[in-house]
Amino acid sequence: MNQPADPASTDPVLAGLLAHISRHRPGADAQLITRGYQTAAYWHQGQTRKSGDPYLTHPVAVATIVAGLGADDQTLCAALLHDTVEDTPYTQAAMRQEFGAEITGLVAAVTALDRAPAEQVSAACADDAAAVALAGDRRALVIKLADRLHNIRTIRYVSRAKQVDKSRQTLAVMVPLARTLGMDSIGAELESRAAATLRKRPGSASGGLLAVAAALLPPEARARWRAEWLAELQVLPTHREQLRFAVQIVLGIGRLAVTLYQPAAAIRRAFGAVLTAAVAASGLVAGGWRAALAVTATVLAVLATVLWTLHSHDRTQRLADLIRALRGHR
Amino acid sequence: MKKEPRMTQATKMVLREMLADPAAHYYGLQLIKATALPGGTLYPIMARLERAGWVTGDWEKSVAHIAEGRPPRHYYQFTEDGAEQARAALAGAYQPGQRRRLDFGMPWPDLPGMPQ
Repeated sequence: MNQPADPASTDPVLAGLLAHISRHRPGADAQLITRGYQTAAYWHQGQTRKSGDPYLTHPVAVATIVAGLGADDQTLCAALLHDTVEDTPYTQAAMRQEFGAEITGLVAAVTALDRAPAEQVSAACADDAAAVALAGDRRALVIKLADRLHNIRTIRYVSRAKQVDKSRQTLAVMVPLARTLGMDSIGAELESRAAATLRKRPGSASGGLLAVAAALLPPEARARWRAEWLAELQVLPTHREQLRFAVQIVLGIGRLAVTLYQPAAAIRRAFGAVLTAAVAASGLVAGGWRAALAVTATVLAVLATVLWTLHSHDRTQRLADLIRALRGHR
Repeated sequence: MKKEPRMTQATKMVLREMLADPAAHYYGLQLIKATALPGGTLYPIMARLERAGWVTGDWEKSVAHIAEGRPPRHYYQFTEDGAEQARAALAGAYQPGQRRRLDFGMPWPDLPGMPQ
C-alpha cells in the first residue's frame, strides 16, 4: 500500500460515509468500501440527480441507509455500485474482475428485481421464503428497499406523474415486502411518505408564507433564516403541520425582525405605532369601512393570539410553580 | 461586553433544554418539539442568544441530510463559555419559592447609620 494520501482525508463525503459505517459496524472493511466508492464516483462522474446533486449522492445515500441496518461489507459495496452496470458503461465482467462474484451477483440481483414478473413479486410480498427466492439473496432485497427509500425521500424533484406512479408501486409492493422481511421502520417510512405524496396537492402555501416572512428581515439575514426554515419545513410530514409551522413563524416575525435590526426603544415604539396606523389606513383606503373593520379584526385577532401565546407560558409556568411551592413548603 | 438576553420563561425553557447536553447540536424544530414553544417564539430567542454570544449557529456538515433527502439543517450549539453563562443566568433568574428562604438567609445590616 503506497497510496500517496488517505483518500478519505481529501473527500469529505467518503470520510463521512466511512465514519457513519464504522459507527454501526466498527470492523467494516474500509478499503473495500473506499474502492467501491471510488469506482462508483468514477463511473457516475458528470451524471446528476433530478435534484441537481451529483449522481453519486444516491449510491452514497443507499449505502448510508443499509449501513444503518447493519449490512456487511459486500452489501455496502454493492449498494455503492448498484446503479453502475445499469446506468454507465461499466460492465458486469469488469466488476466481477475487480470486486469478485459475490458483489457482482448482488448488484445483478438488485437490477433484476425491477424486471421480475408481477405474480412472482406479489408472492414475494406475502412470504419471506418467496421473497428471498425471487432475489436469490436477501441482501439484494435490502439494497432494493434502501434504493427505493432514498428515491421516495427525494421524490419531490421528479415529475408529478412519476411521483404518483412510484408512490403507488411503493404502497403496493415495497411496503409489504419490507414488512415481510421484518424491516418495519423502513416499511413504515415508505408507507407514510408514499401516502403523503399521493395525498399532496402541488404548490406550497407554507413556502410562500415563509418567503414573505423572511422578506421582513434585514437583507443580510434573509437567506439564512429562509434556508433554515425551509429545511425544517421539509421534514414535517403533513401539509397541515407545515402550514402551522409557517403561520407560527409569521406570527413571531416582528420579534425576530426587532431582534435582528436592534433598533433603539424609541424607534421600536414609533415602528409599532406607524404599523398600526398604516394597517388601519390601508384598510380604509382599500375598501371602505367593511375592509377597515375586517383588517382591524384580523390584526386584533393576530395580536390577541400573540399575546395569549406569550402569556400562556408564563401562566402555566406560574401555576406549576405555585403547585410545587404549596407541596414543598407546607 | 455583550448584553445578556432577557430571561423570559420561554428563554429559560430553551436554555434548560439545551443544557441537558451542553455539547450537543440542536436544530430549531427539535427545540420547538422539545419545549412546545411556537416557532415564532423560538427563532427570535435563538437570534438573541446568538447575538449575546452564548450560542453559535452553523450549517449541517454530515452526509446524513443527503441520505434523508432534505436540505442541510441550521444547528445551534453553545459557545465555549455560553453554557456556563446560561447556567449562571438560570440560577440567578427569579424562581418562586426561593425568595422567602433568600430573605431569611440574608444578614441584615445591624448598624443603620453605618458609614461606607
